[in-house]
Amino acid sequence: MAPVNPFEDPLRFERRVPECAVVIFGANGDLTKRKLIPALYRLAYDRRLSAGFAVVGISRTPMSDEQFREKMQEAVQSFSEDTEFAPDVWEGFARGLFYVAGDVNDSELYQRLGRKLAEIENSRSTGGNVLFYLSTQPSQYATAALGLGSAGLGRGNGWQRLIVEKPFGHDLASARALSDQLHKVFDESQVYRIDHYLGKETVQNILAFRFGNGIFEPLWNRRYINHVQITAAESIGVEGRGAYYQEAGALADMIQNHLLQVMATIAMEPSASFRANSVRDERSKLLRSIKAMAADEIRASTTPGQYGPARIGGADVPGFRQESGVDPQSQTNTYAAVTVFVENWRWAGVPFYIRSGKRLPKRVTEIAIQFNAAPLAIFDGDTGDTGPNLLIVRIQPEEGISLKFLSKRPGTGMKLRPVSMDFNYGSSFGERSPSAYETLLLDALIGDATLYTRQDMVEASWAAVEPIQNVWRETQSDFPNYAAGTWGPAASDAMLARRGHAWRKP
Amino acid sequence: MATTLAPGTLLREMADLWVTLGKQGQAESGMGVLRACTMTLVVVAEEEDDGSAIGETIAALMPEHPARTILVRLRRRGGRELTGRVFAQCWMPFGQRRQICCEQIEIMASDASLDDVASVVAPVAAPDLPLIVWCRSGRVAAQPEFWRFAATASKVVVDSGSWGDPKAALQRLAEVAARGFAIGDFSWTHLTRWREMVSQVFENGRNAARLPEISRVRVRYEEAGRAATGRYLGAWVVDALASAGVRVELLLEKGDAPSVELGGGSFQVELARRGDRLVTTVDGLSHCTGLPLPTDYLLLREELGILRRDAVLERVLALAARL
Repeated sequence: MAPVNPFEDPLRFERRVPECAVVIFGANGDLTKRKLIPALYRLAYDRRLSAGFAVVGISRTPMSDEQFREKMQEAVQSFSEDTEFAPDVWEGFARGLFYVAGDVNDSELYQRLGRKLAEIENSRSTGGNVLFYLSTQPSQYATAALGLGSAGLGRGNGWQRLIVEKPFGHDLASARALSDQLHKVFDESQVYRIDHYLGKETVQNILAFRFGNGIFEPLWNRRYINHVQITAAESIGVEGRGAYYQEAGALADMIQNHLLQVMATIAMEPSASFRANSVRDERSKLLRSIKAMAADEIRASTTPGQYGPARIGGADVPGFRQESGVDPQSQTNTYAAVTVFVENWRWAGVPFYIRSGKRLPKRVTEIAIQFNAAPLAIFDGDTGDTGPNLLIVRIQPEEGISLKFLSKRPGTGMKLRPVSMDFNYGSSFGERSPSAYETLLLDALIGDATLYTRQDMVEASWAAVEPIQNVWRETQSDFPNYAAGTWGPAASDAMLARRGHAWRKP
Repeated sequence: MATTLAPGTLLREMADLWVTLGKQGQAESGMGVLRACTMTLVVVAEEEDDGSAIGETIAALMPEHPARTILVRLRRRGGRELTGRVFAQCWMPFGQRRQICCEQIEIMASDASLDDVASVVAPVAAPDLPLIVWCRSGRVAAQPEFWRFAATASKVVVDSGSWGDPKAALQRLAEVAARGFAIGDFSWTHLTRWREMVSQVFENGRNAARLPEISRVRVRYEEAGRAATGRYLGAWVVDALASAGVRVELLLEKGDAPSVELGGGSFQVELARRGDRLVTTVDGLSHCTGLPLPTDYLLLREELGILRRDAVLERVLALAARL
């Protein structure tokens, strides 16, 4: 048993990372430069990393440790938006940066990596603890995992963990196949599938809001909630990622992972504790309760869309098919709206409308929970501008929670008007929020998988999305069906109108 | 002639203030203002304390700990004097259109009126939220009237470093803690980042296994007002090591720069401040992290984040008072 640290003081101390090494596959890539290294540097700056912390970068480009350090310094200076670059903190951090050049497909790479990790374990007392981060092409995930296994790096003196970036497969079968390959080397408990949405402060705050307070949970069911809208809108187009996006689309890129996980957080049952598997069991159970739809239901309850050209703010904006690298006849959905029902006692009959799209009027991600109207309208005649009670959880760009309710307008007579009671995360708590990658990396390094996606969760979301994907693939859509800068296709509005609902315009 | 202050007047002024702010906000941005409050913060200061520095500290705290703030300024003169005013502390979050505002109440009181302050503060404190008292004055903290007033607080924050003789100061504070007050002490808060780094050294299994080798602890502290901090640090290390069955010799020394060394045999751990950095050296391997110079804002920010009794502080305080 490890000796107990007599200096612990959990009341005041921040969570900290034990001595370990992080191995990044794809160390020359954008994610490493923009997110991973700046997040790790921030953790070092905040004293969260131990003295022996090390990073081993891996990519094909030949580079020395020193050159890698210089590149990473540039990355930190360019992309650490709200962290001062402190040369002496950097110096200590950079001493722990190492580089191994090689091809993921080359078995010799893993032997070299093994030798480097052994050196680091010895010189920096990492105790054999290693976090492998696959920031490569998804097609290389299995190869890298098997390579690590063949060199014996999936087991060792300390702990070994593997972070995998999305997409976790492109359908249910490929997701299962990927997990099977990873499990040849790493147990499921060692695999951390990252979904950066779950690292966002407000998404975590949903759990605090629902399960830390006694007043909301009694209302959190079909008796009081009319429907739920989840929106993830982007104002930009595919921004040079046309070729990649053409293969993915909004349904697979956003709804299958991020938004279904957000929905699961909103709709899950209370977990018995805040331990990782306890929370993930409930999320998984919710995802498995999503009602499977037949082809006819899918056509009526989902809407694919693709943006066409438009003029926004005086500038010409190309349609998706005019974007570079995109097939002029592309059938890719840049907008997806789906109606989801959850088959359990809490939510039976309550529609969850989920939409995500590119080139919508603004960048906004939020969840709107619409409550049922008061059971009896006692205010006769013209009561003014009324509307439903709404609880809005804003995820970006401004994180916060608003409750909209009716109030009497001052003056004689009984005229009502909606007012909004706002909790604004950024201003109510002005402290800098950690980036999603800081949160998630710290969690993985500490071994807390609460915010990571488990295999059964991935499979349950593919099981919900794949039938929709299949029907959409079989159908020739009349694209483009919405102009850039608008809130999506008319068919999407009609989808809600059939149930007497309308999309909010956030 | 004695001047008095009716809490009802302050409450009315506060209500009027919100109406005015709401109208202004509506006229300027069409959005009104947002009122935020998570606690009542009572700041007790001397009349001659730098008002603008206190104001800046309070303003800096508001975004993270929005509070109804009651600033009590005490005059060292006889006669009963109590006056007050109400105003708002507002800020516009970057990139947003709506102002966030917190109320501030300023009460001027003479020493003789300190006993009357409680009867004004109680009705104007934000209901159902914690009440925290931050006493900046060692002179006031020495008065029994202050502790009668503070008895209703969820927590009392002081700086024993400003109370004169460090041993006597820690003994007084230990007595207060023993009476059941939840306390915070800036002299202790100063140490959090240091303690965190000491703890981190021993999270490493190899270092933890060498704990029994430690036989001597040397704490150097800066003379100016930080002797209590040095005692706390020494007491904390000794207490933690004792809980692991390790008995050590403790040396407390005055020095130019604060540092702590734990050593024995061939094992040596040293933490030392170098400007705004903390350098940790374990057996010759050094590691540098940011260690901002503590300000009232940083110290109080940490204390406001802890609203329950701090068992580690209370245990260490009892020991530090005996050193």
